[in-house]
Amino acid sequence: MLRHAAFTNIWLAAALVVPQLLLVFIFFYWPTGEALYWAFTLEQPFGGSNQWVGWLNFATVFKDPKYWNSVQVSIIFAAATTAIIISVSLSLALLVDRRLPGHQIYSFAYFIPYAMAAPAAGLAFRFIFSPNAGFVAAINNWFPNIWNPATDGFDAMVLVVLCQAWKSIGYNFVFFLAALQSIPRPLTEASAMDGAGAMRRMWDIQVPLVMPTLFFLLIINLTDSFVDSFGIIDITTHGGPARATDLMVYKIYFDGFKAQDYSLAAAESIVLMLLVIVLTFIQFRFVERRVHYA
Amino acid sequence: MNRILIAAASLGALALAAAPAHAERIKFDFWYGNTGAIAEVVQKHCDLFNQSQDKYEAVCTGQGGYDKAEQNTIAAYRAKQQPTIVQIYDAGTVNFMLSDAIIPAVQFAKDHGMNVAWDSYFGGIKNYYATSKGEMWSFPYNSSTAMFYWNKDVWAKIGKTEAPKTWSEYAADLKAMKAAGVSCGLALDYDTWTALEQFSASNDLPIATMNNGYDGLGAELLFNKTAYVDHMKDYKSWLDSGYAELHTEQTGKDIDQAFADGTCASIFESIADFRNFKKTATGFNWGVAMLPLLDGKERKNTLVGGASLWVMKGKTDQEYEAATAFLNYATAADTGQKYIVENTGYIPVRADGLDLLNKEGFYQKPENAGRELAIASLTASNGTPVTRGIRLGNYTSIRKALKSELEAAFAGQKDVQVAIDDAVTTGNEILRRYEQTFQGAQLP
Amino acid sequence: MIERTPILNAVTQVVLLVMLFVILVPFWMVFAAASHDFVTVNRVPMPLWPGGHLYENLSEVWIKGNFGTALTNSLISSVLVTVGKVFLASITAFSIVFFRYRARMLVFWAIFITLMLPLEVRIVPTYAVAANVLSPLQQMLNLLGFQLVLPEWNLLNTYAGLVLPLVATATGTFLYRQFYLTIPKDLAEAAKMDGAGPLRFYWQILMPLSRSNMAALAAIMFVYAWNQYLWPLLVITDQANYATATMQLQKMVPEGFGEPPVWNTAMAATLIVLVPPAIVSILLQRLIVRGLITTEK
Repeated sequence: MLRHAAFTNIWLAAALVVPQLLLVFIFFYWPTGEALYWAFTLEQPFGGSNQWVGWLNFATVFKDPKYWNSVQVSIIFAAATTAIIISVSLSLALLVDRRLPGHQIYSFAYFIPYAMAAPAAGLAFRFIFSPNAGFVAAINNWFPNIWNPATDGFDAMVLVVLCQAWKSIGYNFVFFLAALQSIPRPLTEASAMDGAGAMRRMWDIQVPLVMPTLFFLLIINLTDSFVDSFGIIDITTHGGPARATDLMVYKIYFDGFKAQDYSLAAAESIVLMLLVIVLTFIQFRFVERRVHYA
Repeated sequence: MNRILIAAASLGALALAAAPAHAERIKFDFWYGNTGAIAEVVQKHCDLFNQSQDKYEAVCTGQGGYDKAEQNTIAAYRAKQQPTIVQIYDAGTVNFMLSDAIIPAVQFAKDHGMNVAWDSYFGGIKNYYATSKGEMWSFPYNSSTAMFYWNKDVWAKIGKTEAPKTWSEYAADLKAMKAAGVSCGLALDYDTWTALEQFSASNDLPIATMNNGYDGLGAELLFNKTAYVDHMKDYKSWLDSGYAELHTEQTGKDIDQAFADGTCASIFESIADFRNFKKTATGFNWGVAMLPLLDGKERKNTLVGGASLWVMKGKTDQEYEAATAFLNYATAADTGQKYIVENTGYIPVRADGLDLLNKEGFYQKPENAGRELAIASLTASNGTPVTRGIRLGNYTSIRKALKSELEAAFAGQKDVQVAIDDAVTTGNEILRRYEQTFQGAQLP
Repeated sequence: MIERTPILNAVTQVVLLVMLFVILVPFWMVFAAASHDFVTVNRVPMPLWPGGHLYENLSEVWIKGNFGTALTNSLISSVLVTVGKVFLASITAFSIVFFRYRARMLVFWAIFITLMLPLEVRIVPTYAVAANVLSPLQQMLNLLGFQLVLPEWNLLNTYAGLVLPLVATATGTFLYRQFYLTIPKDLAEAAKMDGAGPLRFYWQILMPLSRSNMAALAAIMFVYAWNQYLWPLLVITDQANYATATMQLQKMVPEGFGEPPVWNTAMAATLIVLVPPAIVSILLQRLIVRGLITTEK
């Protein structure tokens, strides 16, 4: 990264970052700092008194086996969604980039799910998973009773993974397609001349060249699935059945937003933040090394 | 972009032009949690109030959900931006009672010369929003209770014309229906409001010690030692025998839809849904009845659901004056209760509202037949120590813990008794945490 | 490319078509639901063939949701968020990537970490800030011993309240960082040799190069801002004048508690709310694809 740093005007550099830092400080760090302070107290919903309790909230979190279940569920969810989203949207982008007839239509249509507001997406999923019509009905007709997300934890997990993937593929697709389209044509053409097949070219030339984008999307999807997935859970499974889809962030959302246990939610938030920071830090440290920048 | 600017400018002009007309009116904020069709009813209630006089103006703001209404009110109170009146659901009652952010309804009425006949509130409603000493701290607004909805056509198949009175009779009916080829006698989800709370109240069973928490924050959960456990074992065996089916949103159809389209012959659901079913369950004859009872039990009152109006501290005298006018309007027999009852499935909350509706023959109309049973259910007794309500801290989380355990039990991953024991253990930890958070605080 | 790959082509077309179907089925359902009357939409399964009540439902919700005003508000605030975000992200990333100073990794992480805690978790203190934006600065000043008294600045019921908090997140900065890193390293050096200062380099070289990126980010950010509802619900209490479209939609979606599921009108509202982001994304998508092809490396 350092090799890009050509300019040394420190005052200008500072002036360029100050506006965003100021906004981030006011609207993120200040309120977050207050929320995180609650992790070490027992905060009453309306303010009132709050007592310093040290690590009590963290102890409560860590000695609860249900919390460890949440951690496990979250990691499975994040890994599954990220893998599916990245592979599907990259494949789609590679295929659309082949520019066969009709590719313009696809490049518009695949983005659309991202534009649908959350409440509407919830309804759509409800229809899709209806046992009498659609997707679920078809599966249950072939294999009776094989699909029941209301009682089977695995089915419920599949359901939320698919929902999250459906919602995110458009977002990822756009960035991948944009990256692919920016690869100079002569490069792939030259390789075709050398006798490399279409599949080979994708793997050897196109994929390495979109690595910076892939890295960006990897990080964004990973943090998103850890941090921003409570909406999907709230619309579909509410964490059930039997806590099979009780993601860490849904637990935070429930404890803090629905149950007003601000202190517990704050402690859980710190744990989640640390986990995600460590995970992304590892990515930056090890995965980014293999990313080929200019 | 130009068009946007013009639109914005004309909008501003409109706002300016509209301003003088209301200049002399005293405004106050009212926040509510309802969404969908009920939100429209509430919004219209405000409009009607504003049209009914020219001194005050209620600025009514939907918060997009009961939980959001509570959360936003807390956030606003802490930033000193709270509304004067807020509609809070039953589960928020304890938080508000302990908040020190509200003016108790009795106090407010006294200070502002409101003439409220507190004793004419129906027992099951009054006790829920009252302190252990019986003082009401909020104004009931939209109230409901749980009922038994049954498909009369299916019951006719087993030669019965009446709803079952007891749980054992009901179990026999389910068995008979199965034998008669009915594929689903009962639609279930994991909801605890009907299965635990209403079941316990109607049978006079405790949910927690210290009179369900009314006597203090030290209460402990008890429902793993009552007939509730057997009740859940029945549910499980009905599911296993194919008498009942689970219907939740994830399976594509919730219990309401499963009843409305005739898939399942009965459900336990709020009376608030009554009008809704009048529109959706049109393919067969159906009725409502009070919940079945355990053998040999005498019927006690069920508990109120819905929401009530709380007055927040820290507003001006003028705002309180306006709020007084609104509260009078919104709780009166004609402009308040009758309006709500006629436009929703909710019930009147006081005797004067019921009298008025009776006088007008409301419950004699065929489309309302059965709705009066909800009032009968709420007033079946005058509140035993354990049917006044449930006063437990963070009850939202307790419900969720129980729900999770029932999911495991109904799926066969856990024994029913073990599951409920586990829910009680988790629930007690939640209660102790709440008690510690409010250390030194006294439940009124 | 002159190359015959009939099997691969067939597979490509089939896969793309199947995915198109998967992606569009939910939209068809929303459309179909919006065209039924109340009774039909609540039938299970709902008929998938559209009914004849679309216009009726649309006009009903248009008035009920006050969508004339709401769409205008949404448009104004979403455009402001988009512009603000794209601009801020590009200058911040510019500083982080192209300037040499020790704190730049720190700055990057300080911004990046904002991705890791959603609003729902910090809603109570964030509301307090919105009610008095300068209060954090005031408290900092007090802490540092300054006697300066800042004025109170209340963001509730203003466009600034809708916009500013949404501008302050990290996605854009991260994307720009990734993009700037792909710019050949000699470019800045060459610009310096030619005597161009950093601002000229930014304006004359970086900006044209990142046009397509800007379009991609703008599309994403517009939709992101458009679909926000929790924050607007909180900062806007004057809903007659400042309600946004998604907020109006949220209020129409039934949440249980005995409320009749009027899905047909809720879905009609969804259609209305969906149109502007769909148009914007289609327009910008053209820009993205076109813009990037001309990127020279």
